[in-house]
Amino acid sequence: MGITRRDLLTATAGTAVLGSSVIPRIAFGETKTLKIGFLAPLTGEVSAWGLPGLYGCEVLVKNINAAGGVKIGDDTYTLELASFDDEYLPDKALQGFKKLVSEEGAKFVMMLGGDPWPGVQRFANQSKMLATTLLPSDLSPDTPYLLAPCEVHPIYNVTGVEYLARTFPDAKRAVICAQNDSLGIPSVATYEAAFEAAGIEVVDVNIFDPATTDFAPLVTSLLAKKPDIFCYDTAYADFVNLIAQQLHVQGYKGLQISCTCDNYPQIVEKTSKEFMEGFIFQFPDFDDPKLNEPFINFPEPNKFFADYNAAHPGTWTAVSWEYPSIIVQWIAGAKLAGSIEPMQVLEAMKSKPSWPHIFGEAEWWGQDLWGINNALVGKWPVVVIRDGKAVIAEYGDIPAWWAKNKDLMIKHMRNRKQMWDQRA
Amino acid sequence: MEIILQTCVNALVASAFFALMAVGLVLIFGVMGIINFAHGELYMVGAYLVWYFYSSQGWPFLVAVLVASLIVTVIGLLMERTLFRPMRDNPLGGLINSIGLLFILQVLAVQVGGVGLMKNVPPAYRGSLDLLPGVAIGNQRLVALVIAAALLVCVWYFLTRTKVGWALRAVAQDRDAAALQGINIDRISMLAMGLGAGMAGMAGALIAPLARVEPYMGHGVIITAFIVTIVGGIGSLSGAVLAAVLYAFFHTFVTTYWNGTIATMMGLLIMLVVLIVKPTGIMGTRVSE
Repeated sequence: MGITRRDLLTATAGTAVLGSSVIPRIAFGETKTLKIGFLAPLTGEVSAWGLPGLYGCEVLVKNINAAGGVKIGDDTYTLELASFDDEYLPDKALQGFKKLVSEEGAKFVMMLGGDPWPGVQRFANQSKMLATTLLPSDLSPDTPYLLAPCEVHPIYNVTGVEYLARTFPDAKRAVICAQNDSLGIPSVATYEAAFEAAGIEVVDVNIFDPATTDFAPLVTSLLAKKPDIFCYDTAYADFVNLIAQQLHVQGYKGLQISCTCDNYPQIVEKTSKEFMEGFIFQFPDFDDPKLNEPFINFPEPNKFFADYNAAHPGTWTAVSWEYPSIIVQWIAGAKLAGSIEPMQVLEAMKSKPSWPHIFGEAEWWGQDLWGINNALVGKWPVVVIRDGKAVIAEYGDIPAWWAKNKDLMIKHMRNRKQMWDQRA
Repeated sequence: MEIILQTCVNALVASAFFALMAVGLVLIFGVMGIINFAHGELYMVGAYLVWYFYSSQGWPFLVAVLVASLIVTVIGLLMERTLFRPMRDNPLGGLINSIGLLFILQVLAVQVGGVGLMKNVPPAYRGSLDLLPGVAIGNQRLVALVIAAALLVCVWYFLTRTKVGWALRAVAQDRDAAALQGINIDRISMLAMGLGAGMAGMAGALIAPLARVEPYMGHGVIITAFIVTIVGGIGSLSGAVLAAVLYAFFHTFVTTYWNGTIATMMGLLIMLVVLIVKPTGIMGTRVSE
């Protein structure tokens, strides 16, 4: 293991964030500007998983720059974000990727991934540009320069199901609803595998049109199956909000599990604390004390959360910390490489069998599912709403689940045509 | 049985909103001969105004709904005077103007409210009413349904029982003949536009706590309104209401028992079949040249 948590935090917080308020500004030599590309949906239906990420990056970059920037090799860099709204469209994404790389001179490009990635893939390969995705289902042997260093969507959802099954052993019937897109379908396969592994029967799966405006019929249809567990899959943030309201109105009293539950205080307000009690999902608020555990690789999560909410109140979502955490990892990679050049940073990050992921040590993984070991997989938090507030219940172990249930996951991924060879 | 009844309740609510939107669209088309593509955006503006007045400023919900509807009515009047009246003899020009306005209103919504998560509009009426065991309607939906239905009845009464309403229908039937009878076409056009816009604004305002309030929320709604208008018979108010009810029940039942995507596809298919088999729609009448 060449790089440790200490190295990683030293690479970012030690020289930057911590110094912003208490350490006098360090005098560096000539400061250069380092551009980081941010290519994600900033408008439209999926913008909740783009725009808050940009806000998070702005907060992190501001803190880093305020403390004097980042020293990589012999140079010190001030970070600058170059963003482009891909509107979750492949052609827009290609336009943005070209602009960020060719005109802006970005040294790596962060993306949400999903539908836009196929539009970008060819150019990304040709330009040998390091890119990152939050959706490792974008990975394949044809994506050698694409990393999924933070989110291993949707594989981490197994940790929530594992927790649910252990905590509520009598819950045996689940229904799943998901929008029909590259976020929803692989997640359905994952939940189906996780439920089967936990001995829970999936009694109905409703895959709905992302243009759906009225969720009353969908909820009526699913509640008719008398489920113990309602699974929102990876429904868009607004969909979770509207579906939860309908579940509440139609009298559902069972368990709820979801990949995300962005802006959950609104849902609590619209339904009730009692209705939302025990809601399981996968994305913590960063004021959670469990994020101060020694294995967490993110500079001052609680302060970051406070800074973020002061700058952009009411916009925190699952991605608010994810893109920033990728910047933290990239900086560590660049420091290890002693260079900001994309291929050297990539080589440095991949030179180790494991790498410090935000939630602890993780391994480069993915060969079985995506044909390439470019996803960083380790622990992932299971978050539960208790008395109207999201708290981390535990950190689930994805590799341990995989070791036991690999065949099951591959079976369901193949059934849903989500294996990389099928998608190709 | 519970599922059937709950689906009927769901469909009833959808019917009222489809009808509000479609009747407004039909009024505008009937009187002015213009297909108002910005109708969905008027609905969106109504929802945004409720978000602003009710959620942000703390006004009572019904007051916010009323004010929102009035403001959208005024927007409609301005649209008639500045965008549609100069294009009275050029329906294509009016249509293009409405498309331009559609984008302007969307961009304005982005500028005012930003993008990202939907605007938070908490329900003003919490809880639900249990109609039967296993059959419930949310109080917010119930209030919206009652108001929407009442408004439709008022519009029907206005159009069929008042002189101004008769004049409006006369202009919709034959503008030249109505003008020869001394009916002021400009005023009737403004009335139709104001009424149509106000109904769209009211629909958006009422649905705000139940829907995804975001700048592009008018897209799906306008498609549904066009389907209903075409199936009902372009220009036919009673046809619009009937088609709204039929389409809402059809769509809701297919969504519940099958799939929402299939329901939308079949809805469009029905529209195509109607266009081929009976181009005038269920209750439209052929106008002789």
